[in-house]
Amino acid sequence: MNPFPEFPALTLLPEGAVFLRETATLIVADVHLGKSASFRARGLPVPEGDSARDFLRLKDLAIKHQAAQLLVAGDLFHAASGLTAELKEALAGFLQTLGVPVILVLGNHDAKIRQLPLACVPHLDLEGGLRVIHDPAEASGSALHLAGHLHPVVKVPDGLRTSLHLPCFLFRGRTMVLPAFGSFTGGAVVTAAPGDRIFTALRDQVVELPPALLTRPGGSRGGRAPR
Amino acid sequence: MPISPLQPFFSAKGWQPFEFQEKTWQAYREGKSGLLHAPTGLGKTLAVYLGPLAEGMESMDRKGGCQVLWLTPLRALAADTLRALREPLASLAPHLEAEARTGDTPAALRARLRKKLPHTLVTTPESLSLMLTHADFSEKLGGLRCVIVDEWHELLGSKRGVQTELCLARLRAWFPGLRIWGLSATLGNLSEARHALLGSAFPGSVEITADLYKPLVIETLIPKEIDRFPWSGHIGTRLASQVADEIEKANATLIFTNTRSQTEIWFQELSTLRPRWKGKIAMHHGSLDRAERDLAEQGLRDGSLKCVVATSSLDLGVDFSPVDQVIQIGSPKGVARLLQRAGRSGHQPGGISRIVGVPTHAMELVEFSAARDAAVARTIESRSPVKKPLDLLAQHLITCAIGVPFEPAAMRREIESTYAFFELSDPEWDWALGFISNGGKVLAAYPNYQKAQLVDGSYCVTEKRLITRHRLSIGTISSDPAVSIKFANGRSLGTVEESFISRIRVGSSFVFGGKQLTLIRFHQRTATVKVAARAGKGQVAVWGGSKMPLSNELSHAIARRLQGLGEPALEMAAIEPILAIQRRWSRVPDDAALLVEHSRSREGEHLFFYPLAGRLVHEGLAALLAFRLSRDTGETIQTTQNDYGFSLTAKRGLVLDEEILRGHLRAEDLLSDLISCMNTAELARRQFREIARVSGLILQTPPGQKDRSEREVQASASLLFEVLDRYDPDNLLLVQARREILEKQLELTRLSQVMHRLQDAPLHLVETENLSPMAFPLWADRLSATLSAGDAATRLEAMLQRLNAVADHQKTAL
Repeated sequence: MNPFPEFPALTLLPEGAVFLRETATLIVADVHLGKSASFRARGLPVPEGDSARDFLRLKDLAIKHQAAQLLVAGDLFHAASGLTAELKEALAGFLQTLGVPVILVLGNHDAKIRQLPLACVPHLDLEGGLRVIHDPAEASGSALHLAGHLHPVVKVPDGLRTSLHLPCFLFRGRTMVLPAFGSFTGGAVVTAAPGDRIFTALRDQVVELPPALLTRPGGSRGGRAPR
Repeated sequence: MPISPLQPFFSAKGWQPFEFQEKTWQAYREGKSGLLHAPTGLGKTLAVYLGPLAEGMESMDRKGGCQVLWLTPLRALAADTLRALREPLASLAPHLEAEARTGDTPAALRARLRKKLPHTLVTTPESLSLMLTHADFSEKLGGLRCVIVDEWHELLGSKRGVQTELCLARLRAWFPGLRIWGLSATLGNLSEARHALLGSAFPGSVEITADLYKPLVIETLIPKEIDRFPWSGHIGTRLASQVADEIEKANATLIFTNTRSQTEIWFQELSTLRPRWKGKIAMHHGSLDRAERDLAEQGLRDGSLKCVVATSSLDLGVDFSPVDQVIQIGSPKGVARLLQRAGRSGHQPGGISRIVGVPTHAMELVEFSAARDAAVARTIESRSPVKKPLDLLAQHLITCAIGVPFEPAAMRREIESTYAFFELSDPEWDWALGFISNGGKVLAAYPNYQKAQLVDGSYCVTEKRLITRHRLSIGTISSDPAVSIKFANGRSLGTVEESFISRIRVGSSFVFGGKQLTLIRFHQRTATVKVAARAGKGQVAVWGGSKMPLSNELSHAIARRLQGLGEPALEMAAIEPILAIQRRWSRVPDDAALLVEHSRSREGEHLFFYPLAGRLVHEGLAALLAFRLSRDTGETIQTTQNDYGFSLTAKRGLVLDEEILRGHLRAEDLLSDLISCMNTAELARRQFREIARVSGLILQTPPGQKDRSEREVQASASLLFEVLDRYDPDNLLLVQARREILEKQLELTRLSQVMHRLQDAPLHLVETENLSPMAFPLWADRLSATLSAGDAATRLEAMLQRLNAVADHQKTAL
């Protein structure tokens, strides 16, 4: 779906990515590659598989939309301890089979890694006044921003005792915050402020959630936010 | 046995030893272990403690070292226990010391205890586990002779019980002659309790019963106007003024409620009814600050308080001599619990335990009279020991490896000497070793993982950070994220669940600890409050906690009462008008047959079932029937349940004959149907929180001390569950989570017994014009009903559709 009349070429994808049709640009945020490896490095038994799965999901998405470039709005990697030799090898293989340029906008997690195996920029300006950043707090000016960092999740109370927790796009101010793309990433529940718009995947499309669905009186009982 | 060394103590007190005490000393002297069950306040402490003490006195030449370990389930009990143990110590062997070491122990004393242990050490299972991580602990114990486990019935049935079993196995391996004694209240399965405590030391052990029962009186406050008495509810302050009169009559009263919020409500209510009791009435529950709780306990002990309103936080041990009356608000839900609570009163010699039941709705009149029947007949609930919790095994293996490197074959023998793990299989053992070390063959999806290392055939942990982190995470009780409540000046009031406080807006007020408070700020697990300017009715803090289901034993006693059996009772006479209506409009249910009522209302059709099997079982049965019925009809079915039965509500399609009903009540495919309908994946994910903590998958950070370096390895339990489920679906922790959730959430064992009973029981299908008195509470509960739910997408679609329908409706209305 496209929430912005001024950017007719922009699409929110149900996989949690943004696609710009004119330049065939695919944008994702917060992949956190190697997260489980960094857990294991610290003696926490979490199985491997998330990074391989995320490479596959990225590749499928790029092929499906015939993307000409892939932008990552920060936190492609999780931590230095997770950037193992195996991961570097898998990354090289991924870049090769993908065959399109990948540009990383530096996220706070990436910034802690000394030698990134990938070119990166602090932020990126695209045609038509779109700017890609990592932390939404760094948005400035009147340009439309695409960002990550928050891992937004929306809580939809069902009026009974439970509520749904869904990864979402959050549009606040002039910034569209993307959901975290990685398979092993948690979410933070966002509280919708007046003027916020929230989009989430429903089967194979993205829908905007009407505000009435988010603020059901008394409906917030019982559910707990994932940390 | 010659009790000569102990004689001076008894003579000084002017006491005669009880027979069970002499028996216990004798058995101890013969080198036996065992289980002693006796009511509180009858000298069971002396029974188990004086044996080892006499032995210690005789061999005074022995050098230092700890000889007696006393395990208590509650930190709060440690101080009282210590007081009780020091008394005989002071008069018989003043040169011997006793100390307590728990999570509350000040750092200075803890440091001293690290250097040298006293003759008697009082501690908790968690602290004992922690001490096992110190390499020199076995040396410090020196000549350990005896471990005494107090209130074993409280530990049994939980993972803390298994933690105790594992620690005892370790001590048995170090000190082969070790004697282990347990103290327990009456249980339905005392022999199994003894077996669980002693493990492979069970053969040759003894069970000693103090055949002394304090006279027990169970009464019920009968509502004056039964016609106006509610058929449902749980707050039940309607009888508050009668309760106040009862308090007036007694010297000191202990009021038990079933939940923390009920405690707050009753405290408020009594304070309003009798303003002059200000300062003479206090409150006690687990969320209140330690200092507040200590004040209430002290007030009970010295007799300065007239009344304390409490939750199960005061169920245990502590001896409050001045208390001469116990009041139980609402159903006790179990016979053992009622006895335990009644036993809090009448501690004076020759005293009578007196408990007054206060029903909060009509059916609880039956519950109290049934509880009395069961108490007289001594039909007490069993507590099943937990079997093979692998999360705890993983934790314990790391604990041991940190202390002293262990050789796997010897360790396996040690683990298998416990009751919990005597059936440990090869795959389970291999898995556990892999999980704590380097993944191994069974955990191939874990490259580069390492925790414990195998050096020269023994497992050890050397990395300092891992050791520190493990010590922080020892323990098994999991709790919701707690928020501490503080005044701006820093004075702490206690804690409350995050889910409650996050619903309170800044500036609005709520009731906590008997105070009307206004929320000023909520930041990072601390809620800052001030005393509210205007008194008014604020929201009473609600805590998660679990609602206990009615026990099997009490359910049977209730069924007997409903069948009209038993001695005439005031409660039954009082509720007769309501039962008469039930009889006229339908039938009175019992557990020999299954009563099913069918009824219509504006909402559609209702079916009410009354298996009398407790809330959890009913929840499972309701979900199961809704699932099976909607599979046939495609209708959405809403369910509610309570301790007596459950209801199904649908727009249409519930007109059923007996044969169809029977078909849906069959026990075959029970497990697979339950798994399909109960959203077990979601439930297991929730259950996984505890398992992830215990097994060391989630890091424990004490509140307010977030270690930034640990932040990148924080993940929520549900996320970890997803990851394990996806990449290591055979992980035994997932299997355990599913099994635990079925047992804990649905009482699977009991559910399947009930299913088999219902299958062959006669069925009475009654068409009712009006909702019967027993149907009404189930119908009234429909606002918090559960819908048989689909996946997230289906649910979201349904919500959007409902919203659109409402919008369309409003448009047409305009």
